[in-house]
Amino acid sequence: MLHWIQYIKGYVTIKVWGYSMERFLNLCGNHDILVWDIEDHGDHVTMKVSIQGFFALKTLLKKTGTKASVLQRHGLPFFVPKIKRRKIFVLGLAACLIFWMVTALFIWDIQIEGNYSLTEDVLMDYLESQGVHTAMKKGDLQIEELERRIRGEYDIITWISLKVDGTTLIIQMRENEMPDYDDSGEEKGDPQSPAESGTDLAAAKDGVIVYMITRKGVPLAAPGDTVEKGQILVSGAVPVYNDDMTIRRYQYYEADADIMISYEKSLSVKKDTAYLEKEYSGREKKILLLGLREKEWNLSAGKVPFQTYDILGEKKQVQLLEHLFLPAFYGIKYAKEYTMIEKTHTEEEMTQIMEEEWNKIMQTLEEKGVQISEKNVTIKKNGQSWTLNARMQLVEQAVKKVKNTTQQIPVAEDVQEAAEE
Amino acid sequence: MLGASIVTITGNREAFIENYKGILEYTKESIVLQGKNCKICFQGKELSIDYYTNEDMKIGGYLENVRYL
Repeated sequence: MLHWIQYIKGYVTIKVWGYSMERFLNLCGNHDILVWDIEDHGDHVTMKVSIQGFFALKTLLKKTGTKASVLQRHGLPFFVPKIKRRKIFVLGLAACLIFWMVTALFIWDIQIEGNYSLTEDVLMDYLESQGVHTAMKKGDLQIEELERRIRGEYDIITWISLKVDGTTLIIQMRENEMPDYDDSGEEKGDPQSPAESGTDLAAAKDGVIVYMITRKGVPLAAPGDTVEKGQILVSGAVPVYNDDMTIRRYQYYEADADIMISYEKSLSVKKDTAYLEKEYSGREKKILLLGLREKEWNLSAGKVPFQTYDILGEKKQVQLLEHLFLPAFYGIKYAKEYTMIEKTHTEEEMTQIMEEEWNKIMQTLEEKGVQISEKNVTIKKNGQSWTLNARMQLVEQAVKKVKNTTQQIPVAEDVQEAAEE
Repeated sequence: MLGASIVTITGNREAFIENYKGILEYTKESIVLQGKNCKICFQGKELSIDYYTNEDMKIGGYLENVRYL
């Protein structure tokens, strides 16, 4: 404590030499000048004295015929002027300290570990929606609550742990490693536990059944039958018969069958031979831009000197760390001048366009798993347009599941009891 | 006794003196102080005065003997 006070007030180490050293020391005591750490070095004595004391020594030195010189200066009064000459340095030091102290209050990075099927983007979007993002205040983060919410949102996460390490939010998780088998259907089909009411298969299109194999349920149609959209093809209610061939009750299943329905479809695509094409003049204007949040400023002076132009370019957001983006961005735009020119496709071009159109149709059908058993394609050429007409016979597994509506028959015992009554 | 010097010695490394009148001699080997009725002489090696005021003083070093003259 005393040491600190001495440091703040400042003191000097002095060297004193001369004839009557003892008289000098006694006078110091009498004049209430505090000196300490007095050491004898033979021809001279060193001691420490406060700054104020040092100035008061002058008269005593004269009186006793001793001499003194300063060896070292200690304390704040000597340190401050020294650093005053380095204002910028001190300012920088202080600013640096403040900067670190302030930045330590925020989350600057989010790391996710242990996610396989759940992508980082999905999680980041979810966190963002929960108000968790980079540059958020650490104090606003409620870890327990967030853990609970993430677990609630994603069933696949079996374990999750959030921790803040410095300014990084680390999310560690385990996902359910067992594949999610959908075996509920199998269980429903188990005769030991028949479901309350099964499902039927109904036709999704008008057409003719060309192929049918029933795996579960009672087929209500056969290959060769013409069916209408919505007609039930396989019933999920399987009857259990009594000895006298009357229905005792129904067992309900999820009907399952491969049913191919053939139906006719026609379509037409019309394409004009005339079209507009942009012809770029080759003149372009480069525009530098800076942006902050939704606002955007063009740095290049003047308006774009073209009447019609396309703008191409890219913007980049300022990024500090992997997940830390500042809301500022920069980029370059190019305004490219063009003029619209009316053109007409040549015969070859039109043939190609039509072919492409047809291929597109075929591809979509293929993706849907539709087979084409017959097709009749014609192209009608007109002066201004070409029309593609197609009549196709398609074969498709066109069934959909509908809820079974067959009513359960009252249990036999009940019937008997009713008869007795 | 009124005005008598009080000398407190801790081991052979420290001496604490109250009620002294002045320093008569100071070297590495000996320090002589003036008390009210007598002089006190501390002898030893590497003697130093840690601090002193009008009332009290502290001596450090290796004390070998204390004599009253």
